[in-house]
Formats: sequence, structure tokens, C-alpha cells
Amino acid sequence: MAGYGDVKLLRDDGLRLDGRKIDEMRPVTIEAGILPAADGSAMVTHGLNVAVAAVYGPMEAHPRKIQRQDRAVIDVRYNMAPFSTSDRIRPGFNRRSREISKVTAEALESVVLVERYPRSKIRVEIEILAAEAGTRCVGLTAAAVALADAGIPMRDLIVGVASGKVEGTVVLDLDKAEDNYGQADLPVGILPNTGEVAFLQMDGDLSPEEFNLAMEYNFKAAAEIHLVMVDALKRRYEGGEN
Amino acid sequence: MVELVPTLLRQELARLAESDARLDGRGQWDGREVDLQINCLYNAEGSAKVVMGKTIVYAGVKFELRTPWPDRPAQGSLMCSAELRPVAHRKYEPGPPSPESIELGRVVDRGIRESGCIDMESLCIVPGEKVWGVMIDIHVLSDGGNIFDACGLAAIAALRTAIVPAERFDVGEDYTLKVKGAPIMASFTRVGGRYVYDPSEEEELGGDERIHITLGDDGHLHSLQKGLRGVFTPAEFAEIFGVAHLRCAELRKLVALQEGN
Repeated sequence: MAGYGDVKLLRDDGLRLDGRKIDEMRPVTIEAGILPAADGSAMVTHGLNVAVAAVYGPMEAHPRKIQRQDRAVIDVRYNMAPFSTSDRIRPGFNRRSREISKVTAEALESVVLVERYPRSKIRVEIEILAAEAGTRCVGLTAAAVALADAGIPMRDLIVGVASGKVEGTVVLDLDKAEDNYGQADLPVGILPNTGEVAFLQMDGDLSPEEFNLAMEYNFKAAAEIHLVMVDALKRRYEGGEN
Repeated sequence: MVELVPTLLRQELARLAESDARLDGRGQWDGREVDLQINCLYNAEGSAKVVMGKTIVYAGVKFELRTPWPDRPAQGSLMCSAELRPVAHRKYEPGPPSPESIELGRVVDRGIRESGCIDMESLCIVPGEKVWGVMIDIHVLSDGGNIFDACGLAAIAALRTAIVPAERFDVGEDYTLKVKGAPIMASFTRVGGRYVYDPSEEEELGGDERIHITLGDDGHLHSLQKGLRGVFTPAEFAEIFGVAHLRCAELRKLVALQEGN
């Protein structure tokens, strides 16, 4: 990948540039129900990433041609705010956001009990307000919490996490420099209760052993983030607010 | 379904207006509580978040190097735009910018631009060759009514926190953008036959035309906009103009308070 070999990403003491251990995740905070206009919503901060997800529906599926007779369709839009990155992004959909939206929708359709809502549509809007590598994972986590917040029945939550490789070492949860100059990135969406995987992408170069280690890190991180997700949903509904 | 509601809502709002009441218990010229946070986003050179009732808005400032307009070789540029994305309400559809979002961005843009709070010549690096373009992007996350005022406040508050990223573009050292004063917007909607300040979502749904007034620190007008179907009298305008002065001054104090923290 670009720049590999030019940029030092691991310190002499074995820690990463930001002081994390190789299997240490950036801090994660989650708040559910933050958008009053939406049926369900969540804000997730993961390191310096900030993602907000809103859920509207289930509602009648428009246009007609997207309707499915036997289930609901999930319509996901992943969007980066123009000010979310170091160089301003022109507003509007691009190829990257379209692809991420598509695979995110398919991941969510794997856990939502879509057959409960034939001919309807569930709209999931993911807005990235600040990006520091790993936004698709943070967005996926936010979407899962927002769906649960909307009271939509699901088999399980999905946790978005990523591992990768820098300087030949597998590390958990790449930050911006590691994402830009690292050798591999493996973002996944994990069902924390069943241990299944609903979202999978990868680019770079990983040996089978490295892949296994990266997945091991991802499952470990997913378990940690899952606790934060559950806590956010509990806080939302145990506080007595609607 | 959605079309039925306003008819009933209009009747209720008209009934309330007779006793000078509002749905949420506010007085005619009372605003909702405003929460303002500044410098709240990584990667934006300046940022702000505004929460007003159920309305939530973010604004972020980015800079880019560009060649100046041929007729203004020693001036930088400013652009403010707003996006009403489908995240903000079920009524917003995906697609190219709607007339509503274009109007919103342009009204906020005019208020900031015409107040002269940014000295365009200070944005010039090499006359005729290189100037800064300042982009304010407003992101509406939740439309709970009166997004105009929320967007206007977020935009100016974000601009006032902006750091010019000169080092990243290799044109000197980073410095704080100089912003003189704070143009603030006050919006009014006709509800039940009379104007109210800071309309809620329900009041907008069951209301008529709206008027947006942007005032500078000295109380001068910098942008006006009438939107939607309806007419008003000069006497009505005079009344809301007076209210606008008070409300804008309060919000300007809030901006100063947050900056002092």
C-alpha cells in the first residue's frame, strides 16, 4: 500500500504511535435515542470518529419496485459530512459511500427480522461527522443500536470492528496513520451473541495466520463494544423516558 | 395521512392563539432553550453544535486554496451551504439539494457575508494567484422546527472558532481566523394568525409564512427573507423587528459565553 516502509508506525517499545498496545482498541462511547425526530437513533464515538445513525420506519416501501412481498427492505445511506475529513468532501453520494451503504444494508438485513414487515421499508441514515479511520464500522455499530432503539426486532446486534497490519504486525483497530500507511485492513460486523459474521471486507495483504489473529482481535473487541451498546440501550430505557 | 394532520392542527393552533397561548406553553416571543457547543468536531477547522428543542444542527468550517475571481484578485471567498439530509426527518428524501436546503444555506450565507464579519482581503495569500476559500457546511441532524436560526447560530459560532490551516497547505503558520462580530438570525412564523418567535415543528406544520431577520452587533439588518405563502403588514414587521433585536442580542451573549469558557 502507498507509503509502506516510509512511515514508522510502531515505536521501539512495541507500542503504537498513539501509545496503544497492539491489541488495544480506541475508547468507545455510545448514546442511544439522541435524535428526537427519528424513530430510533444513536451516536457512537470511537477514538476521534463520530457517527450518528437514524432509523425511520418500518414504512411503506417507495418506489414500488423496491418492495418485497415477503419481507422488508432496509435502505441504508452512509454519508460523510463535508467537514468530516481533513480535505472537504463534496456533498453527495460517491462510489465509496454507495458501496458501503449497500454492504451495510445487507449486513443489517441479516439480523433484522425483515419477514415481519412485508412490503415495507426501514430507512437507516448513517452520518459520519468526524472521520479518523474505521468509519464504516462505527457507522454499522451506530445503525445496529439505532435499530434496537427503534424497537425493531432483531436476532442480534451487530458490532463493527476492524483489525489490520502495520509493519508486519497484526494490530486491532487501525487509527488514521495506520490506515493510510498500513499493509492491511479487515473491517467486520460481528453478531456478539451468536458469534456469526454479517459484514466482511478486507484490503491489503494478510497471511492465513495473520487473518486468524486479526479475526481473534476483532471478536475480542466486539465483545467489549457489545457491552457498551447494551449499556447505552439500557440507559435509554431504564431511565423511564418513553 | 400527513395532509390530514395540519388541518386539525391549524384549528387547534388558531384556538390557542385566541388566548395568546402556544402548544408547548411558551409565550409569543419566547424562544426554546438553546444549547451551543463549540469546537466539538475533529477534522473541522472550526465547528459548532446547536440544540434547540428537538432541533439539532452541526456546522463545520473547512478551508481550501484556490485562485481568486478575476474581478476580485485580492479577495478570498466564503461559501455557506446547508444540507437537509434524510437523517433529519422522515419528510426529507435523498437526492440532489432541494430548493428548501438551497434557500436555507443561502439565507445563512447572506447574513454572514453581508455583515462583513470576514475581511475578504485578509484571505488573500498572493494577489491574483492564491487565496483562501472558506467553506461553512451546515448539517441538520434533527428538524424539530426553526432550523434557520439553529443553522445561522451554528454557522457563525463555527466560523468564529476556525483556525486557518496554513501549515497543512504549506503557506505559513496556522492562525485564528479573524471574525468581527456575530451576525445572528431570528425567525418568526405566522401561527394561528399572528407571528411567533422560534416556531416548533408543529407550529411550522400548522402555520403560514415565515420571516427570517439577521442582525449584526450594531443592530443593523444583514439579511431578510420571507418564505412560504402569506402576506404581512409593515406594522407586523415592525413588531417582530423589535423582538428580533432582543433575541439576537441574547444569542450573541451565548456565543460570547461559550467562547469565554
